[in-house]
Amino acid sequence: METTGAIVSENDMQQKKGPSRQAVHLSIVIPVSGRWGDLRDIYEQHAKEISATGQSYEFIFVLDGPDETALRPLRVLKLEHPEIQVIALNRWFGEATALAIGFEHSRGSVVLTLSSYFQVEPFEIRRLLEQFMKDGYDMVVAWRHPRIDSLFNRFQAWVFRRLVAVLTGTHYHDVSCGLRAMKRKVVQEIHLYGDLHRFLPVLAYEQGFKVAELPVQQSRFDLARRIYKPGIYFRRALDVLTLFFLVKFTKKPLRFFGLVGSAVSLSGAVILGYLGLYRLLGYGAIAGRPLLILGVLLTVLGLQLFSIGLLGELIVFTHARDRKDYQIEEIL
Amino acid sequence: MDESRKLSPYVSIVVPFYNEEECVGALYKKVRRVGESLGMPYEVVFVDDGSRDRTYDILQSIRKQDPLVRVIRFRKNYGQTAAMVAGFDHARGDIIVSMDGDLQNDPADIPLLLAKLDEGFDVVCGWRKNRQDKFLTRRLPSLIANWIIGQVTGVKIHDNGCSLKAYRSSTIKKVPLYGEMHRFIPAMSTQADARIAEIVVNHHPRRFGTSKYGISRVWRVLLDIITVKMITGFSARPMLWFGFMSLPFILLALATIATSAMGSAELVPDEWTVMYTVAFSFFFLGFHLIGLGIIGELTMRTGDFVPAQSLVPAVQRKDN
Repeated sequence: METTGAIVSENDMQQKKGPSRQAVHLSIVIPVSGRWGDLRDIYEQHAKEISATGQSYEFIFVLDGPDETALRPLRVLKLEHPEIQVIALNRWFGEATALAIGFEHSRGSVVLTLSSYFQVEPFEIRRLLEQFMKDGYDMVVAWRHPRIDSLFNRFQAWVFRRLVAVLTGTHYHDVSCGLRAMKRKVVQEIHLYGDLHRFLPVLAYEQGFKVAELPVQQSRFDLARRIYKPGIYFRRALDVLTLFFLVKFTKKPLRFFGLVGSAVSLSGAVILGYLGLYRLLGYGAIAGRPLLILGVLLTVLGLQLFSIGLLGELIVFTHARDRKDYQIEEIL
Repeated sequence: MDESRKLSPYVSIVVPFYNEEECVGALYKKVRRVGESLGMPYEVVFVDDGSRDRTYDILQSIRKQDPLVRVIRFRKNYGQTAAMVAGFDHARGDIIVSMDGDLQNDPADIPLLLAKLDEGFDVVCGWRKNRQDKFLTRRLPSLIANWIIGQVTGVKIHDNGCSLKAYRSSTIKKVPLYGEMHRFIPAMSTQADARIAEIVVNHHPRRFGTSKYGISRVWRVLLDIITVKMITGFSARPMLWFGFMSLPFILLALATIATSAMGSAELVPDEWTVMYTVAFSFFFLGFHLIGLGIIGELTMRTGDFVPAQSLVPAVQRKDN
């Protein structure tokens, strides 16, 4: 993976093959990207809860870009607890890539992701792990419920949730919550990039994994005004659209472009047919009619969409050999 | 080197199941009886395509009793093509037979398929000549679809949709199958230079369960036919295909300009604007298509699959 080369290996921070690297059960991956709280506090409170479960664990912080304000507390933390892994990326890659790199460096058979600020009360982490172990799910994602938030925040969260539900056919109440527990095979199979971390439960479900939600108590530090710039909203919308195509049409692009394309060009052809008859039957000239341009443009647009679908099929075909269309649960 | 010339030919029978708990047991008994009578080693590969009923439990108990059976279970329902491909991927035989898990195909036809294969074919398709399904919703659409597939791809098989087929393992493992390509195995297998034959097979009415397909698939099948045509006919030369498509539009654009120019005396300036807009739009479409053709060429060059048209067969067959 090309991003691995981009990691600033802080020699004093990373000890890849030290004597302390034994098998661990639980890997806690914390991507530090964009917004973060008191990282020491995060580490200490969660470490306390996890030690109480008696399982072996490791903490991995992935710093998305060398931001000194985040790196400084991590350095101090690392001095006190040398077993923590800190990975600093040399530029901003986005949270999804930070997570993916954290996954690569993790060793536990269970991977737990945490957000770099308090989204959920730390004690809930134990309940989440219990639930995860007990019911044999491949992934359990936290659902902050009841949600303490401003009306506006709840409204935009609702719009986002509805959009994801309609386009992907999955129903998660809090799909982008940072607290999730997963089996190792989940992180191994899912390729994360861009902003796809937000939809990890949807992607896991599409891969055939069993995903469950667990209502947890929201942290009081989670409160923030979430009014973003218009550009952010546009990006979110594009993210959902990307997800939609990934989930529904990556294996059959012509199903989508072909259908839309033929509908559009058919409506164009109907207009042109009408105008053609109109002219041939001698009702008058059509050259001055804007409807003619509309008909032509619809035909052209439809055929363009259709041909993009064809090209998509060609791309799928060339890669049909190296990707499997199925995931096997078991061979007897 | 030539895998099909081993001393003991070995047959793998691949059967995908999706929610067929009533059929599994009976089908296994029939397949086993036929397998024993073949007079050569065989194995059975059952693929459970994410069934939610007891199919997998029954398969497990069959597996326990019979070492010749292998069972592959999918994590979720991936569809018939994926199930068949998984079966092909895991089949160890030199000859692979595929059939439906709903008891409508008759395993007793397997020896006939193998005999035909022995005449020197690579793919032998079953033809359900006396198909036991409803005429209006199943047989008529199928007749039309098969006719179109034959016309468009040039592989004229009566019954593309029949799952009961026999293949040489070396051939079918080379055929790229994905999406819902199981309907187009004959056409797609031309990608592996297959020699194709068909024979009439039995077909029984459905006794248990329900059909997993309805009439809604018509438009999907139509779009798939276009895809298959492009892949089998033009994937080696995408530029040719897209360039060919662009030609009528560029001609149309030129014709629009020419006719407008000839009638220029009668056209007022507004009408000129309209006619030129029309002509330019067609030009754009033409160039768009040529551009896609170039990207298509790039895709084929950088992709890892080399289509059959551009290949000389690597292994020369020893024809008797």
